[in-house]
Amino acid sequence: MRIATAKESYLQDEALFDSRTQRVWAALLGLALIAYPFMANDYWLYLACLVAINVASATGLNILTGYTGLVSLGQAAFMGLGAYTVAVMEHHVGGFFLLNLLAAGVVAMAGGIVVGIPSLRVKGLYLAIVTIAASFLAHFLFVNSGFTGGTGGMTVPPAQVAGVALDTSFRIYWLIVPVTVLMVLGAANLFRTRIGRAFIAIRDRDISAEVLGIPLLRYKLLSFGLSSFYAGVAGGLWAYFFRVVTPESFPLIMSIFFLAAIIVGGMGTILGGILGAIFMTMVPEVLRILVGLLPVSGDTLQFVSPVRTIVFGLLIVGFLIFEPHGLAEVWRRIRRFFHLWPFRN
Amino acid sequence: MSHRYTGLSRFMRRVVAPLGVSLGMALTPAAQAQGDDIVIGGSIPMSGVFAFAGVGIHAGIGDYVKMLNEQGGINGRKVVYVPEDTGYKVDVSVAAFKKITSQNKVNLYYGDSTGFSKTINPELDRKGDILMTGASFATEINDPDKFPAQFLVGPDYTEMFGILLKYIAQETPGATVAFVYSDTEFGRDPIESSRKRAEELGLKVGAEIMTPPGSVDVSTEVLKLRRARPDYTIFHGYVLAPIPEFVAQGRQMGLKSRYMGTFWTMDNSTVMQMGENADGFMGVMPFRYYYDEEKAPMLEKIRAMRPEYQSTAYMQGFMAAMLMTEAVKRTLDEGKELTSKNMKAALQSIRDFDTGGIIGVPISVKGNSVPVGRIYRADYASKKMVPASDWIILD
Amino acid sequence: MDWLFLFEVVLAGIGAGGLYALAGLAFVIIYKATQVVNLAIGEMLMLGAYAFFAFAAGMQWPIPVAIMAAIAVCAVLGGVVERLAIRPMLGESPISVFMVTVGLGSIMVGLVELIWSADQRRLPEFIPNEPIFLGEAFISPKIFYSFLVAVVLVAISLAVFRWWRGGVALRATASDQGAAYAMGINVPRVFSLAWIVAAALSAVAGIAVGAIGGVSSSMGIFGLSVLVVVIVGGLDSVLGALLAGLLIGVLEALAGAYLGGEFKLLITFLVLVAVLMVRPYGLFGTREIERL
Repeated sequence: MRIATAKESYLQDEALFDSRTQRVWAALLGLALIAYPFMANDYWLYLACLVAINVASATGLNILTGYTGLVSLGQAAFMGLGAYTVAVMEHHVGGFFLLNLLAAGVVAMAGGIVVGIPSLRVKGLYLAIVTIAASFLAHFLFVNSGFTGGTGGMTVPPAQVAGVALDTSFRIYWLIVPVTVLMVLGAANLFRTRIGRAFIAIRDRDISAEVLGIPLLRYKLLSFGLSSFYAGVAGGLWAYFFRVVTPESFPLIMSIFFLAAIIVGGMGTILGGILGAIFMTMVPEVLRILVGLLPVSGDTLQFVSPVRTIVFGLLIVGFLIFEPHGLAEVWRRIRRFFHLWPFRN
Repeated sequence: MSHRYTGLSRFMRRVVAPLGVSLGMALTPAAQAQGDDIVIGGSIPMSGVFAFAGVGIHAGIGDYVKMLNEQGGINGRKVVYVPEDTGYKVDVSVAAFKKITSQNKVNLYYGDSTGFSKTINPELDRKGDILMTGASFATEINDPDKFPAQFLVGPDYTEMFGILLKYIAQETPGATVAFVYSDTEFGRDPIESSRKRAEELGLKVGAEIMTPPGSVDVSTEVLKLRRARPDYTIFHGYVLAPIPEFVAQGRQMGLKSRYMGTFWTMDNSTVMQMGENADGFMGVMPFRYYYDEEKAPMLEKIRAMRPEYQSTAYMQGFMAAMLMTEAVKRTLDEGKELTSKNMKAALQSIRDFDTGGIIGVPISVKGNSVPVGRIYRADYASKKMVPASDWIILD
Repeated sequence: MDWLFLFEVVLAGIGAGGLYALAGLAFVIIYKATQVVNLAIGEMLMLGAYAFFAFAAGMQWPIPVAIMAAIAVCAVLGGVVERLAIRPMLGESPISVFMVTVGLGSIMVGLVELIWSADQRRLPEFIPNEPIFLGEAFISPKIFYSFLVAVVLVAISLAVFRWWRGGVALRATASDQGAAYAMGINVPRVFSLAWIVAAALSAVAGIAVGAIGGVSSSMGIFGLSVLVVVIVGGLDSVLGALLAGLLIGVLEALAGAYLGGEFKLLITFLVLVAVLMVRPYGLFGTREIERL
């Protein structure tokens, strides 16, 4: 049972990890993340990298949709912007990969701010539809701009660190996971600051927020910019990971995937973004194993994909109807159970 | 309202159970190949938009492997086929590749799309011990320098257009041709080079019409086609739609064009779905159809194994397995190791090879492709595709 | 300037616009009654087309019977979906309901793929084949007949909303649920009715779209263009759906003919953004007044 957690200063109250147990668990998690690549085989390393990229992007979307309340179906388009930036820079400039990642984030941020401009005129669903339009515009740009390789896309040479090419899952893990951890911590910290609270105020009732003195357009654009920065960096990581970027790599369905991830995980919590991304990335893998196990004779291989699509839809509908606060809420309930044990309420 | 604690059981059911199963599965070893077996891995599009082809390819590869093993395998070594479904999505394909290669020592691989072949190329070069082919006939891959570990099971799309254009130039010198293609990488692949080819052969390219993928209504495009009044219209980059609409509306408008397609549109069932308008539809096929009457010992074996009609995708998978295993056999016969370099060299040594009648003439591998094909025409009365030309070999 | 070509292109655009209007009508009915933005409209169309395919091609029923059966099956499905998935979400934020429809669309696609696989198929031909000529201009017969059906249905809907008690009840529920309850309108029944009618209409649209372009599990992408149409026309305006449908149809046809196939969707979405900036509620939509 959790006791002796009275806070004695504002600083303590606002801390990210506010008790010793939490800090110990966080340290253990860090150790586990470091030890993982040495224990997992190639396939699980691949999955871990993919999950990390999705976590980064989902966290970005959470900032925009979960915390600021601006629904966006353009996250994949911003990832595409980031990925293409990395690809173009690698081809024309070369240079240090961290710089390319930063450039990817900045370009995506610019895109995000442009897309966010209509947010002064339109709200809610209409804004979501503007982001869908942005998705299509981005796709058009990717296909038809002269320097983006057209429908064939572009290949990306692996990132180089001191002469070592990051071309295996093991090596690139050390790039992707620390960057993701940094971004997640950054997002968590964001919501201890004035800016984060302003976002939450906008989500809850934006007219009231304006009355309170929060300049709406500026903060909405900031939110768009930040979330697309995250998407851009995630897209850059994606480019270094898959090493081929095509216009079909970032379809609208991917944006829907991220939105579903934060809904399933829990909108408006950092943990929700992480849990949701992990869950939604792992479900297809688990499904494939489960369908293979079914006692159905003959080739069940062709049923995996439709079943996966159905399960995807069922998850979204199910979580929205039965558990609107997502996996994060489930997690909180478990934690409360342990905090209160042996008491019940 | 008292807060009865039900969250834990819900959590168990929804999250822990699937995670537990997956963890269990990760730790138990999967059924896999023995030490010196030859392994063919496959990213097969058994579901998704290409499912029709994927099911056929899957059966084709599986059957050839079975046949080969019944004859003792390759130099006594068993051949094992390890497929995964990808739904024709590149990232799922890559995941399947990583999974199969981490659980087996893979020598040969079949990829499901052009996108996948391009994505996995650097990885293939790094690994250096896999020879790969796939469902893609992309022109870009027909480059032994850029894609040293890959090859195409037939002519690339530009070569297919080349065969069609050669036929047109023979039948109707100086004809007007129109290209109708989809706005995808698949569709755009051969258009540029084929335009030049057409001009070299003295044909006029009357129109190049691109349709957005998944478009329903092609009326405006058909109107553009009417403006061009082509003698021949070549479709590329589609599986079925919107070709039937084009053909139907073209006929209604009184367009006198003859219609042609490239490999993936040429399966019997696909063409016959056009109804009466299918009659006279032509296209280039590198392989024979299941029901071809001409003498072909391999076709007879297939017909014995599978009494019902097998699609062109089946033929493609079958041939892919044949070529891949032949490369392995030649490498082993020379006592060399199974590296991608050696296997590729063995593949390129294939000259005047008898495919048992799947392809009507002995074939040679040129570069990364096998540039041979025959024009077939749809005969709606008999619901079959009949040959309309000899086997054309490009250089 | 090839006037004949232009005329033909505009006609083709109007014809295609009719289809957009019909699908948009289904969308608007749902929004008018339940304030739900149904992103699964494309998938509902797909279900209608596949139901017709199953009855006409699979079970070999005569075409008119197959059409009626497909409409009936879809109507029932619409009612079921409303009861199971939309009713529990009453009172939740519009975004949540929007995402529920996205999830539903996914489920529908998966079901279709499971039963019929993801291949493209053609529907049995039942629309008369002789080409239609307006003077010298050619109109595809399929487009022409679909357009007729669409216009007739839109006209009927306009009349229904205006004069029939059920239509008025629908409008009442849309403006103020509380007042509608107070007036004795059975609000839950109105909701079900709206979804049932909308599903039936989208079945008709689906059969038309399927007859032209064939059916496949990715037919739902039509829904995105329909979304643009209803935004431009106004989410709750039937007349808006018709006019915007025709407008978007013509614009797309012109873009496709003069600029190239790849510009069709781009023009559509540029128009969308332009309209959203100038008149966010669409050309004929009712202005939402937000109260604190």
